[in-house]
Amino acid sequence: MTALAQFDPDALVELMRACAGGDQAAFATLYRRTSDKLFGICVHMLRERGEAEDALQDVYTNVWRRAGSFDPARANAMTWLITLARNQCIDRLRRHHEEQLDDSAAQRIIDPDPDPAAHSEISEQRQRLERCLATLAGQQREAVRAAFFTGATYNQLANRLDVPLATMKSWIRRSLIRLRECLEPTETQP
Amino acid sequence: MNTPLDDEPEDLRYAEYVLGVLDADARAAVEREIASDPLAAAKVARWQQHLLPLAEDIPATAPPAHAWARIESALGMQTARHESTQSARTGWWSNLALWRGFAFGAVAVAAACIIALLVLPRAMVTPAPGAAYMASTITQTDGQVGWTATMDLQHARMVVVPAKPQTLPADRVPELWLIPAGKKPIAVGMIAANGATAIALDKALVAQLGPTAALAVSVEPPGGSPTGQPTGPVIAKGAIGAAAVHGAG
Repeated sequence: MTALAQFDPDALVELMRACAGGDQAAFATLYRRTSDKLFGICVHMLRERGEAEDALQDVYTNVWRRAGSFDPARANAMTWLITLARNQCIDRLRRHHEEQLDDSAAQRIIDPDPDPAAHSEISEQRQRLERCLATLAGQQREAVRAAFFTGATYNQLANRLDVPLATMKSWIRRSLIRLRECLEPTETQP
Repeated sequence: MNTPLDDEPEDLRYAEYVLGVLDADARAAVEREIASDPLAAAKVARWQQHLLPLAEDIPATAPPAHAWARIESALGMQTARHESTQSARTGWWSNLALWRGFAFGAVAVAAACIIALLVLPRAMVTPAPGAAYMASTITQTDGQVGWTATMDLQHARMVVVPAKPQTLPADRVPELWLIPAGKKPIAVGMIAANGATAIALDKALVAQLGPTAALAVSVEPPGGSPTGQPTGPVIAKGAIGAAAVHGAG
């Protein structure tokens, strides 16, 4: 468990700025502070260390090249980095593993931690999301988590959870609408 | 801001994109929208804020030490930076400053690097029992030692160290090749002209390492040979020999 809050956001923003300016020492520091988290994500999503290493390399070369496009007004630095890592992994999954993931051997749902609320060090945002997830029906919550942690497509999820594709789409779409209502409750028009 | 109901299908698609359930084509379509439409980008960013806290559930995992060297090498960065960026947890093998310390000025055979390890404090030298190492002295055409390479077969990695800073044309870089006997060269990786380089080796490449194979350095454009075979002159070459570590465990 690593609360994203443990990454000092201001310090990361400074490091990203320095990277955008070509500061290689700042890049090394950024790597030291964040690579454990991003590599954890790559290993978890790709399930193969060699490919996770390749993905990590692509993630950080992207970080270096695109640091200038990071806008701290729009996103938290760690959110930006994790997004880069997840997108890298999902793109790799789409490229290489479309068939393999449907194999029966891979149908096990990989859930890192079915009871994250049991941990005290999770962030406020994570706790809030957990409260909203808790309002979903069990199967639908499971589908959302499986989607997030495996990067699988609707088709793959339907196969793995053994439900029709239309059911899977409906579960996830209704869950997302529900989560949005739960996470953006008070922001109604005047 | 709340999303008006009339653009709900769009907003849902962005949510599906962030969650990761879209296929490759649908993902690419959303990415084009993000790039061209600030409103789409803002909506995607909001969903990232909503859903990415789930990533906290994934345990952190330390990447192997050679991962950083690969990144620096891919970006063409100065490997000399390793001296300030290596942390203790990366271990002795990846401590490029240490390797460079052995090689610069010493102009010794690569095996000397291994022997030198034996006199280091025990804590710094902990190769696995039975670990196999190979070494190569890559000699320039003028007979001087150009680079020394040490290969850790068990962990499929190699450290290449110049005997002295190498001078190359400004827009040219050295690339390392493995040449199995009677076969075409196989690209190993770009190496630094004036610092140590750590390289992770493919399993297929490790299988080719042996006393009948040789290492060679050619001069290539930045980023490496565009053809997969050496395009520039070969400036150094060396045979590969065993360099087992005895008595260090």
